[in-house]
Amino acid sequence: MPNLEAARTELVAALGGDAVLHDPLALRLYARDASMVEGSAGLVVFVRSAEDVVTCMQVAARHDLPVVPRGSGTGLAGGATPLADAIVVVTAKMNRILEVRPDDRLAWVEPGVFNLDLGNALRPTGFTYAPDPSSQQVSSIGGNVNTNAGGPHCLAYGVTSAHVLAVDVVLPDGSIERFGSEAPAAPGYDLRGYVVGSEGTLGIVTAACVRLTPLPPAVRTMLLDFTDVEDCAQTVSAIIARGVVPAALEMMDRGIVRAVEAFAHAGYPTDAAAVLLVEVDGLPAGVDAQTREVEAAAQEHGVGTIRIAADDTERSLLWKGRKSAFGAIARIAPHYHLHDCVVPRKALADVLAGVYAIAQRHDLIVTNVFHAGDGNLHPLFSFDRSVPGTLERVLAASDELVRLCVDAGGSLSGEHGIGLEKRDFMPLVFTAEDLDAQACLRGAFDPDGRMNPRKILPDGARCGDYAAAALGRDGVLPEGTWI
Amino acid sequence: MDLIHPHSKREVVDALRTASASETRVLIIGGRRHIDKGNSSEVDAELWTTVLDDRVAYDPAEMLCVVEAGMRIHDLTAMLAEGGQEWPVDAPRDATVGGVIASGVATIRQLRVGTMRDTIVEMEVVTGDGRLVKSGARTVKNVTGYDVHRLLTGSLGTLGVIVQVALKVRPLPKVTRTSVSDDGGLELGRRVLDAVPLPAAVLAEPERIVVRLEGWPEEVEEQTTAARSIAAFEETDAPFPEACFPEAMIVAEAAVAPSRLEALLAGVGRYRAVVGVGIAWVPFEDEEALTAFRARAAELGGIAPVIRGPGGLGDAAIPAPGVQRRIRAAMDPAGILAPGRAWST
Repeated sequence: MPNLEAARTELVAALGGDAVLHDPLALRLYARDASMVEGSAGLVVFVRSAEDVVTCMQVAARHDLPVVPRGSGTGLAGGATPLADAIVVVTAKMNRILEVRPDDRLAWVEPGVFNLDLGNALRPTGFTYAPDPSSQQVSSIGGNVNTNAGGPHCLAYGVTSAHVLAVDVVLPDGSIERFGSEAPAAPGYDLRGYVVGSEGTLGIVTAACVRLTPLPPAVRTMLLDFTDVEDCAQTVSAIIARGVVPAALEMMDRGIVRAVEAFAHAGYPTDAAAVLLVEVDGLPAGVDAQTREVEAAAQEHGVGTIRIAADDTERSLLWKGRKSAFGAIARIAPHYHLHDCVVPRKALADVLAGVYAIAQRHDLIVTNVFHAGDGNLHPLFSFDRSVPGTLERVLAASDELVRLCVDAGGSLSGEHGIGLEKRDFMPLVFTAEDLDAQACLRGAFDPDGRMNPRKILPDGARCGDYAAAALGRDGVLPEGTWI
Repeated sequence: MDLIHPHSKREVVDALRTASASETRVLIIGGRRHIDKGNSSEVDAELWTTVLDDRVAYDPAEMLCVVEAGMRIHDLTAMLAEGGQEWPVDAPRDATVGGVIASGVATIRQLRVGTMRDTIVEMEVVTGDGRLVKSGARTVKNVTGYDVHRLLTGSLGTLGVIVQVALKVRPLPKVTRTSVSDDGGLELGRRVLDAVPLPAAVLAEPERIVVRLEGWPEEVEEQTTAARSIAAFEETDAPFPEACFPEAMIVAEAAVAPSRLEALLAGVGRYRAVVGVGIAWVPFEDEEALTAFRARAAELGGIAPVIRGPGGLGDAAIPAPGVQRRIRAAMDPAGILAPGRAWST
């Protein structure tokens, strides 16, 4: 039987009263992440070391409580939303950069280190940590690892998994293991690869060994504007067809450009139907060659003006516009629902047209800012949830949006994850046999189903002896959950 | 030895169901090019994937291709060349795609093109008990569900038969150039790596350094000039990569953190090391010398499995053996897939 009170007493005794929160305000705050789902937290524990995490796991096991790891809580899919009075283990205070070793092109960091802080700390060494999710000012490496986070520069450099050499993980049984290696190969199955992107369902990452990427000698950032959204989308494929893989290739439509410009004053053209932010990097001569190809591709598709950032200041300003987009849209309406799905690049124009049609059908404001080079869409519905019936319309539109992307040959999520928000869509892209296999392999790490139960896999995904004990009532979220 | 030669995924499913039911132990065979990697395993049958070699989908604009896993590397290379692209993996021409993935081939050019494991975006695999399981998606980016394909990569045929994959491909470089110096050694190799911006590979051997450059013509010129500021480099038209110690009885593929290559290779007479990556191939004439080398690799936090000849993977301890055993049981409940071939738990 779950025994929250006994768990609290033991955790306070082991970690100190300051490390364990259970007052109503804290429980309410930690009952959700940046998604629309609210759950219920039983206890909130701030860990400072792997040993603290081990203690949490042992106490949770003793008192039959689920465990939900949490970084900065910026997740958009409900991955860090606790259900059923779980113990929320917050890694935010484990925020040291442990080692930087340029000769080995690696650094060891604790999970609470902010993505941007790591990049800034590495800069003097001539290296960087390549994944740069738009939340990078506040999202932590631990959260990035667990969602296999992306970002604008993943087009050329790859997503988080390509930049994580090893992770130290506390497993649900309280053991501490290192998956992966500082060396380019490690013995055994690639458990590192299975943990990255597992949304806190296999264990808790207490340190990550990340790959350092050399800072490119030259970078050029361009802003291209178009009077037609389709021309803009087709330019994306045209650039790739010319054998150029830009470091970043971001698209923004008129609605988001106007919101961003009013906020960032970056000189974005507010009369354009859509803009492309293109960045190429490499050696200076290669950057010149790539720039010529990008310009030629854009001119074939009716580009208006091509603005090339003259210096670092202008470059930063253009990126500020892109990266502050989700803050800027607060000017449109008080609430937003940000989507994340991936489609084949050639389907971008059609899917975008479909996105606008869905918004119109449900009388919603939609803006688009996304990783066009990856085919990774981020339609963003803006609304005021206090207006009766609005939330229902948002959810209906979201449902149609997911199906639109899947029908176009796409996938449910490119970088935000499945969490709670999309788990019931999983049967759209996987068979029951696929999902059962995933459940079995999850059970290999967590036989008792203690870690972040009910996330990623829909209820019903089972695996004989490995069936997760915590998965219960069919298809119904537990009491205390609301959307 | 029985031979199973399936002509379709369905036949793989049927064959493995039957094998599991009858406890027939099976070794999965692709191009037989990486067959020495792994511990020795006694089996009753071989399952050949080589007829499963269809092209399923290829659209250069998506920078993805979908092929059956029995496709040979030379056929894949030719198919992708038509689209001006490559699968950036350094593997023998007659190896199969599935074999390259299952054996976890190390990419020599990974400083520039990344690792093989990160190119696999979707996989269909038939488990030991004959279930067809798919993971991933045909998009360049995806975080939908668990990446079962990550576990299959480098699993040496012990978790299932890889029958189909979607691969991330990249544009062929406009220019490639291989240059060779008249002097060698790791110290010189490191100086070359420090001087040349963004090379594809810097290989150090005792007597020479090989630099591989790929990119736009002007870039490669700039890189060549940088390399020549360190040592006398001459361009060569030899194939890249050259065969690795073709006459040696045993070749080990060591992996250590890049800065530990010097310590690993001190006193070693012949080697080829990928500077800045931490991979080194070393030839041996007998297993005794190999054992001593492995002990040193282990002290340095690395491993040294054999990729040609006898010797297997070595006895490095694997993390979370209980988890690894349960993974194996989940994918191959009857334990028929090459028992003992992967790392020992």
